[in-house]
Amino acid sequence: MSMMHASQVGAAPSTAHLMRWVIAATLPGIGAMTFYFGLGVVSNVLLAGLFALVAEALILILRQRPVRPALGDSSALLTGVLLGACLPPASPWWLIAVGVFAAIVVAKQLYGGLGHNPFNPAMVGYALLLVSFPTYMTLWSPPQSFSAETLFNETLWAQVIGTLPPTKLDALSGATPLDAFKHKGQAVLASEFWASQPLPEGTLSAWRNVALAWLAGGLVLIIKRIISWHIPVAMLGSMTLIAALFYAGDPSHFASPLFHLLTGATLFGAFFIATDPVSAATSKRAKLIYGAGIGTLVIIIRTLGGYPDAVAFAVLLMNLCVPLLDIYTVPRPNGHSKTADKSMPEGPL
Amino acid sequence: MPAYEFPGGIYPPERKTHSNQAPLQAAPLPALVTLPLKQHAGNAATPCVAVGDDVKVGSLIAQRNGMISAHLHASISGTITHISNQAITIEADGHDSWQTLPPLDWRTDSPEKLLERLDSGGLAGLGGAGFPTYIKAQVAEHHPIDTLVVNAAECEPYITADDLILRSYPNDVLEGAQLIARLCGAQRIIIGIEDNKPEAISALKQALPQIQHPATIVLKVIETRYPSGGERQLIKKVLDRDVPSGGLPADIGALCHNPGTLLAALHAVRDGKPLVERIVTLTGETISAPGNYWVRLGTPVGTLLNSVGLMPDRLHQVIVGGPMMGTPLTTLNSPVTKTTNCLIAASVTELPPAPMESPCIRCGACEHVCPAQLLPQQLHWYARAESDSTLAKLNLFDCIECGACSYVCPSFIPLVEDYRLAKQRIRLKQIETAKSEHAKHRFEFRQARLAREEAEKQARRQARLAQHQKPAGGSTGNHATPEVDLRSLRIAQAAAKAAVKKAEKVLARAAEQDPKQRFDDLETQLATAQENLKAADARLAKARASTTQKETP
Ligand code: SF4
Ligand code: SF4
Repeated sequence: MSMMHASQVGAAPSTAHLMRWVIAATLPGIGAMTFYFGLGVVSNVLLAGLFALVAEALILILRQRPVRPALGDSSALLTGVLLGACLPPASPWWLIAVGVFAAIVVAKQLYGGLGHNPFNPAMVGYALLLVSFPTYMTLWSPPQSFSAETLFNETLWAQVIGTLPPTKLDALSGATPLDAFKHKGQAVLASEFWASQPLPEGTLSAWRNVALAWLAGGLVLIIKRIISWHIPVAMLGSMTLIAALFYAGDPSHFASPLFHLLTGATLFGAFFIATDPVSAATSKRAKLIYGAGIGTLVIIIRTLGGYPDAVAFAVLLMNLCVPLLDIYTVPRPNGHSKTADKSMPEGPL
Repeated sequence: MPAYEFPGGIYPPERKTHSNQAPLQAAPLPALVTLPLKQHAGNAATPCVAVGDDVKVGSLIAQRNGMISAHLHASISGTITHISNQAITIEADGHDSWQTLPPLDWRTDSPEKLLERLDSGGLAGLGGAGFPTYIKAQVAEHHPIDTLVVNAAECEPYITADDLILRSYPNDVLEGAQLIARLCGAQRIIIGIEDNKPEAISALKQALPQIQHPATIVLKVIETRYPSGGERQLIKKVLDRDVPSGGLPADIGALCHNPGTLLAALHAVRDGKPLVERIVTLTGETISAPGNYWVRLGTPVGTLLNSVGLMPDRLHQVIVGGPMMGTPLTTLNSPVTKTTNCLIAASVTELPPAPMESPCIRCGACEHVCPAQLLPQQLHWYARAESDSTLAKLNLFDCIECGACSYVCPSFIPLVEDYRLAKQRIRLKQIETAKSEHAKHRFEFRQARLAREEAEKQARRQARLAQHQKPAGGSTGNHATPEVDLRSLRIAQAAAKAAVKKAEKVLARAAEQDPKQRFDDLETQLATAQENLKAADARLAKARASTTQKETP
């Protein structure tokens, strides 16, 4: 019976600490987003976090499980924060609520709660919203430099009442760089596309800086050993490689690897989503394959599929593969000869 | 020489300086000892004294019962005051008079004599499961052993008993190693020791040159990493050999002993001292004179801790063994036994109780540290689901219960507890399913005993007859039949002997593989084989008697 615990002797964080560390590490990313997209980002995150806690508590009461320890582990809060951070600024409250419901109730608790969910809850919520409410999910206002006006724009009010005035819709549907590039059309060469200044001033650099802020938070997590490097490195590595292959084949129609890395949810996804331990593979080898799979899928869907960004779908698809990965990467225990244990790969599950 | 790597492992805080600063001392003699009949792997010993008997230190008070078992000796001189089916209690007379066995010389005396001494001295492994030493030393009968590994890694936090033993008795430990090496036929002795014991290492280095015969002794200093003192892990580290799953170190030519056992073995042989005392680390923040002490077996833990300045108001729990693999004591009346290597009287801040467990988040930390390369998280899952066939596939019984996985688990899941319970459940199930088998074996044993008694009776009668008839002389009957008879009886006796050897081997293996299993059935089978052998002996004796009787004229 072990009476010493790494987290009690300060050698490693406990599960609750892990969750809180990840939440803390989202701050640079959320800060940068707020800087460029206004307080609607903060309100998204706060609302989603709050909804997540409420949803978790309610469902635990219904399932007649102790509420306090589950809320105490902060995992629901984390799911809410991550989902909130993916949504367009100042999304309507009901949109957030639906997303959180899908994440916490359906994806997490109906599967048995923390540790039992095969799919990343935040990404289930996000994917559901993207499929069901595509208009609302693409309302990314053009980034603006920080000012009082951006802080308190009318969209915040729209979030509260839950609808947007139709006149505003047009002004708001500023595209993300990935969106724009996706819809440039076959006839337009990449060079012409960029020359035409398809995005409002500063959009690209805003998205890049946001991505770098997420990277900063992610590096903190790796340095603090909250997450291991395997998944992010494998995911970013495979994205770079596959994107480079496409780009080398036809630079006039495919985006550069750097573009893929610095736009959309790439870095956020690599450090904060793909690394969710519950829905990811466990062994080092399986993690590398898992990360590489996500990276590959992201580029394939972005380039050949119907969605401009694809981190959520790529993660969910690879979540599906985790049981397989876990089985086929079972290490050979000590003292078992290489050839003898034919039974191992069939393994559990 | 290079050190090889075993997978996984952790670096918990060592907390050894607490107890390794003071020199080795003797704990005060207790006024009363309670000696459990089962301080070793296998069957409990059978008491051979009565209440009211006076005993000396070293008097035999309970006898080995079956093969996997050990004799038990009085650890203080005094009077037997109580005998239960668990333990024998002795009240001290304050004289501490000893009754030792005649000294032997491990270099010159015969191996049989030395083995017999290890047996009669009640020696059992002082490190872990308390495996009877004489059985382990006999292993050479079945397996060629080339290397004796002295396990001085002492990788668990807090414990410094081996450290102090090596500092205080380096020569004796090395001689003890030579003794065991001689018995098992090892030509080489490797001492594996973690680099956090510089004083013990230098003491060994000084002693080494004088004791290089008959086996050569090599010292291997290894990195401090838990659990390098696991038998398999240490063998991997110093020999780069993998003990096969479900196998024994002997299968790959190695034998593992810890310094304490070697010291006790030498004392039993050289000084004729049965195992009546041992060195125990007394440590923890709530005692004022922590250190290592010679403690008589059976000393109540409470008395012992009080004698080294226990502060009861600060005491949170007492742990027997180390913080990783030890167990918390439920009562301070428990006695020190042959396997008690350490007592930690911990304060609540020192070893706080684990917070409530939270769900497994599949972080994989447990898997990375598992030295046996198992999947602790999946084992946990299937252990709770009680799906034993999957547990078998996941090699549950390869788990050495080191606790590394529990140590790192961020969700405070008591993983090792789950495994222990699951193992226990599976062991019981095995016994349950083999019940009819066992009944059959017990029946066979009774038959064999009756047959043996009958054969012995006849042999005695024949012997008497032979004596009576000798002076009278004269023979009747034919000379050919007894010859044939004698031959087939000799063959039968040889076969019976082989059957005994085989039963012994099977039992010894099973016991070493899983000392916590119960061996009643195998012991019964061995006893049957022994009865058969005795019967064969008797029949042979009878036939011989009748032949001589016929041939005398
Ligand atoms: S207790 Fe068992 S499963 Fe856990 S780390 Fe040790 S050997 Fe592996
Ligand atoms: S260390 Fe604990 S939480 Fe992490 S995978 Fe293992 S059992 Fe699960």
